Amino acid sequence: MKLLLLLSPFLLSGAELSFNRDIRPILADQCFQCHGPDPNNRKAGLRLDIEKDAKLALKNGHIGLVAGKPEQSGVFQRVTHSSKGLRMPPAYAGREALSAKDVEKLKLWIEQGAVYEAHWAFIPPVGRPGGSIDGFVRAKLQQEGLKPSAPASRNELLRRLSFDLTGLPPTITELNNFQNDHSPTAYDKQVDRLLALPRYAERMTWRWLEAARFADTNGYQSDGVRDMYRWRDWVIDAFATNKPFDKFTVEQLAGDLLPNATLEQKMATAFHRNHRTTAEGGIVPEEFRTEYVADRAETTSTVFLGLTMGCARCHDHKYDPITQRDFYSMFAYFNNIPEKGLVYNFGNDEPLIKAPTREQAKQLAELDAKLALAQKAVDRARPRWNREQSRWKMQGDWMPSEGLAYQNKLAGADSIFDGKRIVTEKGGTVVYNYLSPFTFSAWAKPAENTGAILSIAEDYAEGNGHGLYLMNGKVRLNIIFRWTDIGIRIETEESFKLDQWQHIVATYDGSRYAKGVRIYIDGREQRLKVLFDELNYPMNFKHPLQIGAGNGMNFRGAIEDVRMYTRALNQDEVIALGDRAPLSPGSRTEKLRLAFLDSIKPPEIAAERVARAQRDEYLATLPTLMVMQEGPKHQAHILKRGAYDAPGDAVDPATPSALPASPVGTRADRLGLAQWLVSKQNPLLARVTVNRYWQMMFGIGIVKTVDDFGSQGEAPIHQDLLDWLAVDFVDHGWDVKHLIKTIVTSDTYRQSSRLNAELLNRDPQNRLMARAPRYRLAPEMIRDNALAVSGLLVEKTGGPSVKPYQPAGLWQELAGGGGYAQDHGESLYRRSLYTFWKRTIAPPSMVNFDSPSRESCTVRESRTNTPLQALNLMNDVTFLEAARKLAERVMREGGSTADTRLNYAFRLVLSRTPSLKELALLRGAYDRDAALFAGQPTEASKLLDQGESPMPRKISRPELAAWTQVASILLNLDETITRQ
Amino acid sequence: MHESFRNLTRRHFFGKSALGLGTVAMSNLMARDRTGGLSGVPHFAPKAKRVIYLFQSGGPSQMELFDYKPNLVKYANQDLPESVRNGQRLTGMSASQANFPIVASRFGFKQHGASGAWIGDLLPHTAKIADDIAIVRSVHTDAINHDPAVTFLLTGAQIAGRPSLGSWLSYGLGAETEDLPAFVVMISPGAGVGGQPLYDRLWGSGFLPSKFQGVKFRSVGDPVLYLSDPKGMSRGDRRSYLDTLNELNAEQLKDFGDPEIATRIAQYEMAFRMQASVPELTDLSKESESTFALYGEDARKPGTFAANALLARRLVERGVRSIQLFHRDWDHHGGLQKGLPKRCLEVDQASAALVTDLKQRGLLDETLVVWGGEFGRTVYCQGRLTAEDYGRDHHPRCFSVWMAGGGIKGGTVWGETDDYGYNIVKDPVHIHDLQATILHTLGIDHTRLTYKSQGRNFRLTDVHGSVVKGLLS
Repeated sequence: MKLLLLLSPFLLSGAELSFNRDIRPILADQCFQCHGPDPNNRKAGLRLDIEKDAKLALKNGHIGLVAGKPEQSGVFQRVTHSSKGLRMPPAYAGREALSAKDVEKLKLWIEQGAVYEAHWAFIPPVGRPGGSIDGFVRAKLQQEGLKPSAPASRNELLRRLSFDLTGLPPTITELNNFQNDHSPTAYDKQVDRLLALPRYAERMTWRWLEAARFADTNGYQSDGVRDMYRWRDWVIDAFATNKPFDKFTVEQLAGDLLPNATLEQKMATAFHRNHRTTAEGGIVPEEFRTEYVADRAETTSTVFLGLTMGCARCHDHKYDPITQRDFYSMFAYFNNIPEKGLVYNFGNDEPLIKAPTREQAKQLAELDAKLALAQKAVDRARPRWNREQSRWKMQGDWMPSEGLAYQNKLAGADSIFDGKRIVTEKGGTVVYNYLSPFTFSAWAKPAENTGAILSIAEDYAEGNGHGLYLMNGKVRLNIIFRWTDIGIRIETEESFKLDQWQHIVATYDGSRYAKGVRIYIDGREQRLKVLFDELNYPMNFKHPLQIGAGNGMNFRGAIEDVRMYTRALNQDEVIALGDRAPLSPGSRTEKLRLAFLDSIKPPEIAAERVARAQRDEYLATLPTLMVMQEGPKHQAHILKRGAYDAPGDAVDPATPSALPASPVGTRADRLGLAQWLVSKQNPLLARVTVNRYWQMMFGIGIVKTVDDFGSQGEAPIHQDLLDWLAVDFVDHGWDVKHLIKTIVTSDTYRQSSRLNAELLNRDPQNRLMARAPRYRLAPEMIRDNALAVSGLLVEKTGGPSVKPYQPAGLWQELAGGGGYAQDHGESLYRRSLYTFWKRTIAPPSMVNFDSPSRESCTVRESRTNTPLQALNLMNDVTFLEAARKLAERVMREGGSTADTRLNYAFRLVLSRTPSLKELALLRGAYDRDAALFAGQPTEASKLLDQGESPMPRKISRPELAAWTQVASILLNLDETITRQ
Repeated sequence: MHESFRNLTRRHFFGKSALGLGTVAMSNLMARDRTGGLSGVPHFAPKAKRVIYLFQSGGPSQMELFDYKPNLVKYANQDLPESVRNGQRLTGMSASQANFPIVASRFGFKQHGASGAWIGDLLPHTAKIADDIAIVRSVHTDAINHDPAVTFLLTGAQIAGRPSLGSWLSYGLGAETEDLPAFVVMISPGAGVGGQPLYDRLWGSGFLPSKFQGVKFRSVGDPVLYLSDPKGMSRGDRRSYLDTLNELNAEQLKDFGDPEIATRIAQYEMAFRMQASVPELTDLSKESESTFALYGEDARKPGTFAANALLARRLVERGVRSIQLFHRDWDHHGGLQKGLPKRCLEVDQASAALVTDLKQRGLLDETLVVWGGEFGRTVYCQGRLTAEDYGRDHHPRCFSVWMAGGGIKGGTVWGETDDYGYNIVKDPVHIHDLQATILHTLGIDHTRLTYKSQGRNFRLTDVHGSVVKGLLS
């Protein structure tokens, strides 16, 4: 053994073999697929992911691992077997033999006792006292015989820091201030300054939107619009006020369940309504509702646990000890939302709340107060009206007339319907949309228990349109877009009477829901049975109004006084409508009161109506948010193969079994889950979170697989560092700004990012951090930077999404319809954070630069380098207009000579002065273009015709064109779009 | 200009390779035949070098086009027997329909070619290439609605997030041209109401790096987004611009030594080449009259299926790996009697022309052509059955696809459905089998083209799929 150790080139002398570092990856990669947690795939009964099981005798007498005795261990025998047929992993499955190095590691490990450790990430972190980022990093560098790089220059550093913390470049003044600050705290002051800016909150919010799969559309098929910007506002506010990350977590997962939840806490839960939803006709709603719940479970585990539970959806997880039961136990937390599988495609769907801004809430309160005042005035006047009514001389008839759109008295012989007769009104009738409120009213004396009273519908069974029918003894209202899946069908629980006159009224409030329907028989509101409640698509049918016909039915009996209103009458009005006699002291009291008030038209009532209308209209304009709510318990099941229609065992909410359990007594609901996530029992949340922020500052996580802390994920390159940061984060009250400050004030962060051949060869991915990383800016920063340096950027925090430039026709060619309606004015120049995000056709200049599509939770950063990016930067109007504005700015502010201007432009864009060589190259380009455009003024004007921002009148076009070309070159430089 | 760039970069890469960048740059510049791709892929000698997928979005009716069921006339208007439907789930659109009246095709069928394949009279041109194509009548899928079904067919999973077929190919096989993208997508709307929407994810790269995503060639505006230089800027101006840009970037490369800067320079040069090669590609003015006669007059109109089919051939000639056409508006829930002939008119001639054209140019042997939609349509009528009109709902249990060219045995008719065209009775081909077969023709073992994401090795065919050997030449 000694000899072997000496011969081991890969083991540093004296280095201990670590199960988690050295052995588990081999077992996970090579063995667990057939000898891991998944019982269905397990071969020979051998299980290697659990120490106890691996050391048991198998049926065939072999033992997988015999401590201290490789030659008796089945594992070692088989990985070294000389017969290809018996060698593991199996050749017949296309697998190669283990490398000699891995075989040797296994051998040593077995010799040392084959001792397992729990998976590193499932053991709570312990922070080493006296730790620091630089201490850990340098210790590792020393081991590797590397040295840290020199510090970056101040210019480089401030540019790096400004992008990392705010997503925007520093101004020249900021650069100068930093250069001229000779105090020892100069850098700290810059960090504090940047962390205090709203820009910081916006920068942090972007990444969170990607994790939360935030978008402005639903994401499936026709990809309708939704409106979740108030949740984005909430996130910005949370980062701006430095909401502790534990609260940030709890409120987003379960804010609605907190005691006395505030509006803001409820708004936070929109986090889990950001997933995709479908409005595709013909789906099975439960299939997709299941999908939504699964998305929440997967997103929760990715974001807050760094675990990929999605693989356990169909079967036990092959590699991680996350079982299918674990997945559906997580699923169960999110299964009780009173939501639909087939959603509304033209706005937010239930459950939703009004989510006014503070300003709006204030205005609403004022309007509410005005309304209350007006109501009080009405209440005060009532006794007076009652007295006046008693002295009132009633005369004639009175019926509700407001909103009356159609009436046909059908008196006398006209009232008779023999089962064949149809009264058809062509034209002049109202076209009802799905959001149009209405009242249908008629007197009917039915001779049969099925028939059509009135309809604006196709006249065959299961046709579309509106109709009031009698079906099998019940009064039925149908509002049908498509019989089979879109519409409302609702009927009375009690039967009407045959051969008697009855006043039948149906009202609908335009809310899209069956709960907005009332049916009255003789003024009595009926209990209703909802047969179908999926009215979510605009209707614009032009069917004739028919009396005595509709949906393939006719009417036998008599019908009189058919009326249609364009509003939903209230019960008093319905009762009044049912009293057909002229006004007399014996009239229904409701009718008398309404008629009297109509005769005197009191100003109090008019004022109350105005106040109510103002309040209602304002309320309708307020933004809403889809949020989480707990509905009735919806029993979760393990779904076989993940299929919605193959339920297995029932499961209740529970945290993953492989992780330390919740403290006893924790609630088994979302709030319980959230509280467990932020508790000391959970070894993952702090680690996963600090790792993600590390990725934001270094481009790559300490654990590179930021979304996978399971056994298939990468082990941390610096576990001591990760754990120390995690513990420090929690000890400081989950203070995100403290965490970021800790990272960016380290010497490790402040190194130069220059590479040399040794660093490139030894550590191409810069995992050891012997230099600062250098990588391309994120897509949103590339655009925001261009807007900022050109002076176009409009900084306004929060608010609805905006539609900046986009190549024409992009939406139509894929989806038809009206296409993209680009905004104008300042909406063109807001930060990319606010750009309208259509999931199925994402903004092209974001996708070109590797933005995730926002279809599902994404936390890993990805960067490519493509020709499409080059074309985007050279020819997109966004960047061409920015170049023109930058040129104007340079001509205006950059002094009077070409060289002062070039210097100024260079500093604006790159935060440093150019070298002589660089200056000469740019000067050459400028001189060439200046001469060129001087001779071609028309071409110059054409070149400048980019974007909607105005151009100064008194400016030399050829000169501006030359500067625009220089500006465009600057915006296209690798350095410009790089954080270095 | 080209040469000056080459010299420039050579100087930087090879001359002053003190930074040790030589090998990185070398692999970028020297591989003329293929760039990118995985070593060891293809896994075996491919028959096809590239693939053209003529995707018919919405679900063309196999009942009228490829799956001839003479007995349906006898069963007309009868309810589909429960023994045939056998508990099959239906879409929400016909699930609550009171009855399911069988409707036979109202268009004729004839046998064609030496193989005697039955092809609907709506496809007279396709009928002429009967011996070049393999008709698979037994494709079946798991999904029953458009979004999940198209996503399943083109990415191997119903839920968003997986790479598309073309991006798998770019990832595995790399590109054969540096002047054009390796994966090109073209869309034609269909002259009807427009049909089902499409989504970027259908040619997206999922969890693969985004450079593998398909590039959409458009018929309006720039053929490739942001391709055209601004007005007022000549090609020479762009060249001078790039020379300055490259030199400035090269200065930065000297200072920082980051190979990404060298890659950036190369990408700008490729963009410059694309600015020339794409307009050259889309300029059909040099195509002969006989070509237009072959593809039809539609081929002169940008944005039509016929024009896209002709472009597909030109892309093949220029070494593009994956070409994905989408023709929309095949979703005939109702209005089939009028709508289906129109769609057929739009695609039939050009689809057949493409196969013929490739054959005449000796390219068919190395090009796989696939034609079909995301699912089939029901034997029973959806909505109202009248003398003038009928409709069919989505049907996942069987539908027809044809394949031709590289590695495919022409004149094959594969698979069989029952008397009602409802269930498969012989040789079923699941979507994952179809995908495995496509990959096979390209020399790829579908079980071995994988990518690790979120702790798991993913592949186009998930954990399923087997190659349909009977289709192979």
